[in-house]
Amino acid sequence: MSNFIVRRAAVLGAGVMGAQIAAHLANAEVPVLLFDLPANEGDANEIVNRAIGALRKLEPSPLASKDRVAYIDAANYSQHLEQLRDCDLIIEAIAEKTEWKDDLYRQIAPFIAPDAIIASNTSGLSINRLSEGLPEFLRSRFCGIHFFNPPRYMHLVELIATQATDPALLDNLESWLVSRLGKGIVRARDTPNFVANRVGVFSILAVMHHTERLGLGFDVVDALTGPLIGRPKSATYRTADVVGLDTLAHVIKTMQDSLPDDPWHGYYAVPAWLAALIGKGALGQKTRCGIFRKDGRAIKVLDLAAQDYRETAAEIDPEVLAILKNRDPAEKFAQLRASGHPQAQFLWAIFRDIFHYAAFHLAEIADNARDLDFAMRWGFGWAQGPFESWQAAGWQAIAAAVKADVDAGQAMSPAALPGWVFGQVAEKGVHTPQGSYSASADAFQPRSVLPAYQRQIFPERVLSEAAVSGATVWENDGVRLWTLPQLDDGIAIVSIKTRNHTLGREVIVGLQEAVARAEAGYRGLVLWHEAPFAFGANLKEVSEAIAAGQFELLEKYVAEFQNTSMALKYATVPVVAAVQGMALGGGCEFLMHAAKRIIALESYIGLVEAGVGLIPAGGGCKEFAIRAAQHAAKTAGNDPFEFIQPVFMTVAMATVSKSGAQARELGFAVDSDKIVFNANELLYVALREARGLAEAGYYPRLSPRQIKVAGRTGIANCEMMLVNMMEGGMISAHDYAVAKAAATALCGGDVETGSLVDEQWLLSIERQLFVELLKNEKTQQRIQHMLTTGKPLRN
Amino acid sequence: MSKQIQDAYIIAATRLPVGRRKGMLGHVRPDDMLAHAITSVLAQVPVIDPALVEDVIVGCAMPEAEQGMNVARIGLLLAGMPNTVPGVTVNRFCASGVQAVAMAADRIRLGEAEVMIAAGTETMSLMNQIMGNKIALNPAIFEKDENYAIAFGMGLTAEKVAAQWKISRDDQDAFAVASHQKACAAIAAGHFKAEISPCAVTARLPNLQTGEVQVKEFLAENDEGPRSDSSIERLARLRPAFAARGSVTAGNSSQMSDGAAAVLVVSEKILKQFKLQPLARFAGFAVAGVAPEIMGIGPVEAIPRVLKQAGVHQDDVDWFELNEAFAAQALAVMRTLELDPAKVNPLGGAIALGHPLGATGAVRTATLVHGLQRTRQRYGMVTMCIGTGMGAAGLFESMR
Repeated sequence: MSNFIVRRAAVLGAGVMGAQIAAHLANAEVPVLLFDLPANEGDANEIVNRAIGALRKLEPSPLASKDRVAYIDAANYSQHLEQLRDCDLIIEAIAEKTEWKDDLYRQIAPFIAPDAIIASNTSGLSINRLSEGLPEFLRSRFCGIHFFNPPRYMHLVELIATQATDPALLDNLESWLVSRLGKGIVRARDTPNFVANRVGVFSILAVMHHTERLGLGFDVVDALTGPLIGRPKSATYRTADVVGLDTLAHVIKTMQDSLPDDPWHGYYAVPAWLAALIGKGALGQKTRCGIFRKDGRAIKVLDLAAQDYRETAAEIDPEVLAILKNRDPAEKFAQLRASGHPQAQFLWAIFRDIFHYAAFHLAEIADNARDLDFAMRWGFGWAQGPFESWQAAGWQAIAAAVKADVDAGQAMSPAALPGWVFGQVAEKGVHTPQGSYSASADAFQPRSVLPAYQRQIFPERVLSEAAVSGATVWENDGVRLWTLPQLDDGIAIVSIKTRNHTLGREVIVGLQEAVARAEAGYRGLVLWHEAPFAFGANLKEVSEAIAAGQFELLEKYVAEFQNTSMALKYATVPVVAAVQGMALGGGCEFLMHAAKRIIALESYIGLVEAGVGLIPAGGGCKEFAIRAAQHAAKTAGNDPFEFIQPVFMTVAMATVSKSGAQARELGFAVDSDKIVFNANELLYVALREARGLAEAGYYPRLSPRQIKVAGRTGIANCEMMLVNMMEGGMISAHDYAVAKAAATALCGGDVETGSLVDEQWLLSIERQLFVELLKNEKTQQRIQHMLTTGKPLRN
Repeated sequence: MSKQIQDAYIIAATRLPVGRRKGMLGHVRPDDMLAHAITSVLAQVPVIDPALVEDVIVGCAMPEAEQGMNVARIGLLLAGMPNTVPGVTVNRFCASGVQAVAMAADRIRLGEAEVMIAAGTETMSLMNQIMGNKIALNPAIFEKDENYAIAFGMGLTAEKVAAQWKISRDDQDAFAVASHQKACAAIAAGHFKAEISPCAVTARLPNLQTGEVQVKEFLAENDEGPRSDSSIERLARLRPAFAARGSVTAGNSSQMSDGAAAVLVVSEKILKQFKLQPLARFAGFAVAGVAPEIMGIGPVEAIPRVLKQAGVHQDDVDWFELNEAFAAQALAVMRTLELDPAKVNPLGGAIALGHPLGATGAVRTATLVHGLQRTRQRYGMVTMCIGTGMGAAGLFESMR
């Protein structure tokens, strides 16, 4: 098998999607040519340059770090087509007009390299039809590649083959998208709007239909269709505003035009009120006015009856809320269906119609139920796909309820549920440990066995799929030490078990025990668990000790924390930290002490202790002080402060990285650490890395003994920054005190500049300052506030 | 008038156009800028043999890195002056340039020298950090309340002045716009032509496409800072830069800049010997200290002091070059001393023209002595506030 390599990519069309896809390719270290039309006057690349400039300002950022933008080269169709010959992957992302795409394909065809893949990011046009716009010899290398907005953050990419697409090429592309870009792939059929948008847009139309039918307010519906039912905070109407009401109307129109025989065709229409908004230019977020409108700080909602915007007042009936809080899905759905409350009727109706719709269309639009459920989870941010929700609530009961409603004419369509619903899936549902039901093949299909998926030891699972359990070596209430004999029984894995992976006493001693056992009987240790990596120290334990006035005990607790960091750092076997999601406070300190870090792209790492009036005291300040001395020693001036200054601001401001790549820039990780784009591969990569380090003869470095510190002058320099911030009203007096403590720890204490200290000295400074701050009333208030509200207090 | 042996006269004064930070002079070294200023000022009086120059005194606010190693001596040697001519760098932060002029004049006034060069040079482009390449504050600063404000950034001191002297955001912005308008009008009218020595700039930049070094050559002729499109509306949109609820913004503060200037100062004996017509007589210089947290108010103390020293009444001064470190402090000084706004910075100030720290005093001396000549006015002053709390004022009397 030859390797599939993308040395360079091109994206055609520098619109919102094209530019962001280019950004994500650049994130993955793939240089990109971003094409658009030449400007009529001035710089011919003006259109693309403007799009590249806009990437820097978008939030959340499409760029994993600011320097990525340098790997996107501007190009235009008049001057640079010749450069397409160097591109192994060409993604077309121009406007959704078949004729325009045909024209473009004709224009670029002579410049496409012999083995290059060309793929269209169309969100709904027929891929087979687009393929006809290409010369015949290119058609085997053409497919649909449908990213979701924003492409860095939305996991889903739908891949759509044509009749002519080379299957091997599509497999290669899928593996590459999964591993390199970190995406979740669903193979979609070439049907209008593919899978996620087909079901997702219908879901929006169903919500709109039932909103109107039951006379509910848009704000109430958003409160009902958000996190309470496992969907994103932006729920339905806010999402529509964010997407753009004109864009939504366009997608609805595609369904209206291309699905004339669909039983739900009558609903594929833009509601009159929505058309009226679009007519008025109220297109949602981009025009600051849509279904919602921002008035100063207040967000107002459109009231259809009053034909005006009013204050939002999304009140959910307590009876309905009680039903939604019921943890038994079977009871929940039964109660919603039985309730006479319009809010409950609404919820049952939208679920019923989506179940009905998904079951009816499964055979036509998706290979199996797993793909459809993943499409909704990854493309629309639903916690569960429709089939998972259905199955969780009892397949047969829901099937019967949907059928009864259809028969009674209460569902949106009179179309009968397909026979398979009552056939071989009736017993266990569509998802089984052996695979998920394919309506087109009338069989349960297992997961794909492409090489990329062999690296996913913990893939995302659908209902009924069990996680790999491995072999437990030892455990306490805080951690579990285990191995994966099928992959490498010589490398131990330690996973934190606590809620949000907070670091309480059991975790701290458990990690030390894990290191000791790994040293005794294994070749390496991987610190891994599913996201988040860790939310920091267990504040509840800390708060209880403060209340009891047990400051000596607290100091011992901190010392134990530091011992754990040191155990990780000086283990005789390599400790590899596999990081994903939030890694805050003590979690950040632990990963800083590992021999190596494997970091998922979407990792948010930071020393956030200042938020609760504390400083990093698990060795975080100490590590930065050591690194500053090491960096400084390589410069002519040998001034550690030069390297303390940036990290001081990071610690004092509790800055959290916005990506794994940025964690390197902030100094939490180092250049030689690995960024993994697909978090599902983390454990695999970390195990291989640990094995590699072990095989290469790993041994820990000795603890540095002559660490040159910035000392008193360094502290004064930091204090100068703080004085200006406090006098400028940007920080409080307590912020100042906390930040000064951090400066003191980072600079090695109140000693002469350039003093030489050792690691224990630095740990001791950290520990003493930490305990002093714990005694401070304002710090105690911050801790209490965090425990009660989950938010930092600025006192 | 204080006792002195003889008067000191300015017979030539010139400067480079001032560049925006990282702008047209962004790659030009400060010693090269200084050499150009020295060469140009000597060229204006060819009868003076450079070997007659007793000393070259150069103001520079951050005399380190590219402008370290006693930049005065390096600059004069690069200018081709004989190696018998010495040079010294002096630092009084933002007043360094006018301080250099005063020190050069004093050597002559004491009879120790007949010909002196005073100059200033500063690059804010090549200096990575505004506080110098290695920040190293004394911890003792934080031990006493009265010293605490040494740590204040200049912007913060401007906020303190704005608060204490009740200078509104609107007034600051209006002052800033006026500075740009006056500077643009002055450039259009060619009022800076007499003082500017255009500078040929060569930048050697890598061209990654061709793999060659691209040599960019151009002539820097005009000040780069003034914006013809500056407006109250635009400035009002800027956020306070130094305080959460402040009024001082990037738009109503001086620009960071690159620049250099040189002034040729001689005795009466030299005037007679070479039959030279001076531009101006050096009439006096004073410097005074104020509290560091309101450093911008420094000129309020320095201006009366130099006027008293020279026996000149404030009303007799026709032209004030009052360095606009910040609109807030400039307005506070003007209001406190009741300076006639029509006499202050008639060609615009540092908010528009830029403020190359240690060079500014020499730069504005060139502006003043040529301006007085052109407008046939008599007394003019170069004055500015100084970091850590000082003010300086130099008085000049036009001679033609």
